[in-house]
Amino acid sequence: MSDLTLTNITKSFGKVEVLRGIDLTIRSGEFVSLLGASGCGKTTLLRIVAGLEGVSSGRVEIAGTDVTGLPPEKRDIAMMFQSYALLPHMSVAENVRFPLRMRRVGTRDEQDAKVRAALETVQLTHLADRAPRQLSGGQQQRVALARAIVSNPKVLLLDEPLSNLDARLREEMQVELIEIHRRIGLTTLFVTHDQDEALSLSDRVVLMNAGAIEQQAPPREIYDAPATAYASSFLGAANLVPARIADGKAQLADGQELAVAPGSPDGNVTLALRQENVDFLDGGGLAAKVITRVYMGSRHRYILDLAGQTISVLAPASVMLEPGSLARIGIAPDRIRILPG
Amino acid sequence: MTDRRETWLLLLPGLALLALGFVLPIGRMLVLSVQGQDGYTLDQFARFFQDTFYPLVLWRTVWLSALITMICAAIGFPLAYIMARCGPRLRLWLVIMVILPLMTSVVVRTFGWMVLLARSGPISSTLRDFGLVGRSFQLMHTETAIVLGMVQVLLPFMVLSLLGVIIRLDPRLEEAARTMGCSFLQTMRMVVLPLAAPGLLAGSILVFTLSASSFVTPALLGGPRIEVLAGSIYKNVTQTLDWNFAAAQAVILFAGIALLLIPYLRLGRRAHG
Amino acid sequence: MVRAVPGWLRIAAVVFVMLAAIFMLAPLVVVMGVSVSESQFVAFPPQGFTFRWYGNALGSPAYLGAFWLSLTLAVLVTVSATLIGGAAAIGLSRGRRPGGPAETFFLSPLVLPSIIFAIGLLMLWSAVFGATSFYALWLAHTVVAIPYVIRTTLAVLAERDPFLEEAARTMGATRLKRLWFVTLPQCRPGLLAGAFFAFNISFDEAVLSLFLRNPNLTTLPVQIYGQLEFSPDPTVAAVSTLMILITVALMLILERMLGLTRFASG
Repeated sequence: MSDLTLTNITKSFGKVEVLRGIDLTIRSGEFVSLLGASGCGKTTLLRIVAGLEGVSSGRVEIAGTDVTGLPPEKRDIAMMFQSYALLPHMSVAENVRFPLRMRRVGTRDEQDAKVRAALETVQLTHLADRAPRQLSGGQQQRVALARAIVSNPKVLLLDEPLSNLDARLREEMQVELIEIHRRIGLTTLFVTHDQDEALSLSDRVVLMNAGAIEQQAPPREIYDAPATAYASSFLGAANLVPARIADGKAQLADGQELAVAPGSPDGNVTLALRQENVDFLDGGGLAAKVITRVYMGSRHRYILDLAGQTISVLAPASVMLEPGSLARIGIAPDRIRILPG
Repeated sequence: MTDRRETWLLLLPGLALLALGFVLPIGRMLVLSVQGQDGYTLDQFARFFQDTFYPLVLWRTVWLSALITMICAAIGFPLAYIMARCGPRLRLWLVIMVILPLMTSVVVRTFGWMVLLARSGPISSTLRDFGLVGRSFQLMHTETAIVLGMVQVLLPFMVLSLLGVIIRLDPRLEEAARTMGCSFLQTMRMVVLPLAAPGLLAGSILVFTLSASSFVTPALLGGPRIEVLAGSIYKNVTQTLDWNFAAAQAVILFAGIALLLIPYLRLGRRAHG
Repeated sequence: MVRAVPGWLRIAAVVFVMLAAIFMLAPLVVVMGVSVSESQFVAFPPQGFTFRWYGNALGSPAYLGAFWLSLTLAVLVTVSATLIGGAAAIGLSRGRRPGGPAETFFLSPLVLPSIIFAIGLLMLWSAVFGATSFYALWLAHTVVAIPYVIRTTLAVLAERDPFLEEAARTMGATRLKRLWFVTLPQCRPGLLAGAFFAFNISFDEAVLSLFLRNPNLTTLPVQIYGQLEFSPDPTVAAVSTLMILITVALMLILERMLGLTRFASG
């Protein structure tokens, strides 16, 4: 059973084409992230599902019903905004109760019970009577979340809700979101530009690029097996090195050779090497010149020149190499991702 | 209902009211100014300019308004600058000091001037005591009285207009000028004044328009013998009931204001262009 | 420490501001002074101290009648201007261009002298209805009051959270509910301030009231004007002082409630 089906969605603003033929099906209870750079269309797509934007063509179905022409207030959705959008003249409890009032769900007592339950889920029952401006950013964000889940919507929409939080708060909220989703299991569509966030929260990651879906797959698959160069470089900052494969070996531009996994295609390819998969060796392997060393506390990041290509490699803090020196690096053949030339 | 329709519905009562109470009356006035015995005529306008009295009234109105505007600018600019650069507490008091007269009725304010400028009033008495003027010196019923009263009435408009602009100027511009060798007064002249020009322009237009159209203060402080155009209009409307002539005078007044302001506006647009 | 402003200029500035303050407030102070003077003649400084002119004013049917007319008018104008102006402000705030032609049109009575339509309104009204009536005054005053309501309400709406309305939509609020639960609460400070301005404007209004007056339709400012034209006396000073006090009270309430100065600059 699918809770959300998007069929061939296109959207243009004037002459600018923002979405080009999006097909997406989200199963009941699934947590899907829309991941991409600014301008890729992910927020527009989310707003289309919400009904805040119309489509130029295509269909939106929620729980089997065609809602393409319906305004947001008539769709069974809930949305969490980046700026929280709490009603400033109402208390926390009244904010959370608002969707139940508007959609006329249950009696006053039943609504109060749901509000209490939602506030318990986000651990804010003690602040129920406060005004939004008296709360911290993190607390406001939880209120927005409680308000979104209280009406038990068919689809929960989250528009970069953690972007305004500092790093530590963001990590805490990510864990909480995972917990809440595990407990309540609402079908969720989550927009973010942060790949770590997408990887840690989702059942499935939908990577978007220039208005189209570049790749959609579960987190582990999209990270370990990116289908395109774009996916590869967006997730995990891969290094892309052109090479020519023959007889089970890949030859780089400067003639150096390294082993690749058996069964790899022959001919001109691009090798995708993740910076955490490249090791520094005492001898042997490939020669690369050290350009820059960046200290990051727990480790170093080295910018190297490998066969004319600039690559980035992570190493423990104990590995100290001077810029200008020659380093020796290696990578396991099964960790090399082969992309078409 | 769509967004557009809701917006139009919200605007409709206001539009209707302004059309009925504002636009239509102006139209009616225009029509009346050219109405004659048998259809449309420019007789009323001719009558205005052929008489020796009325062009004098027009000239006096324009001249006094220009004077009032210049005085308001001369006083308003330093006052607005001081208000913009002082601390918030003091600014609050100064704003109140400026707005309070604005919010009282013009008849009340003018009455105050009538008392101040009376023959036995404090100003005349003081001047006489110091031997600066003769026994029959009188400030009431003079053009000076009109200017004094009008400046007090209209100064807030100039100050508020300038204040809005100056307060948005980056004080670091002035600091930069000083590090480049300008004295305080030079900074005023070469940095603040040019940048405050839009506020000066808007304030001047407002003050000139309002002062040229005033009749309450000029009538009470100038007396029956010193007439301004708006006063003449009022007389023709309420006393002599010569509505066509009054309408023509009104058209002349506003046409005159518009004519004088067009070069002003052009100046403003070119400065921003 | 190097001071930005030379010493002599500072002193000059202080003197200047003091003189400006005296200049701005002197007429009001003078009126209040005359109202408590024992002297029968309008003279300043006042001689003696008495409240009898106030007694005179409060006992005079002419002034009382004018006062009730002005009060009733002001209250009704406040209601009509706030309703119509508030709606217009909400409509204008949804427009794509702030400061566009629609906004300029609605705010024009602020910068145009009221005489410009006072004349035509009188002429139009007589042509259609004959003698001027309360409704003519109500209409005229509402026209001048509306821009004040629009300006204050627009200022408040400009600072609003643009996502609140969208959030309300995703929570199931239909159009009217959004207006009631989201937009109107957001407007409230602006509407309130506008209402106070409207009341004050109408109560003090002289020009329109003078053009539209007739023997049965004399507002308080018109009554005062008539007396001043004829022969000023301390009684009219007492009435004027009461008007000043009403204005001051309104301003205090406004400042206490909402912070008047935010509406002050432009």
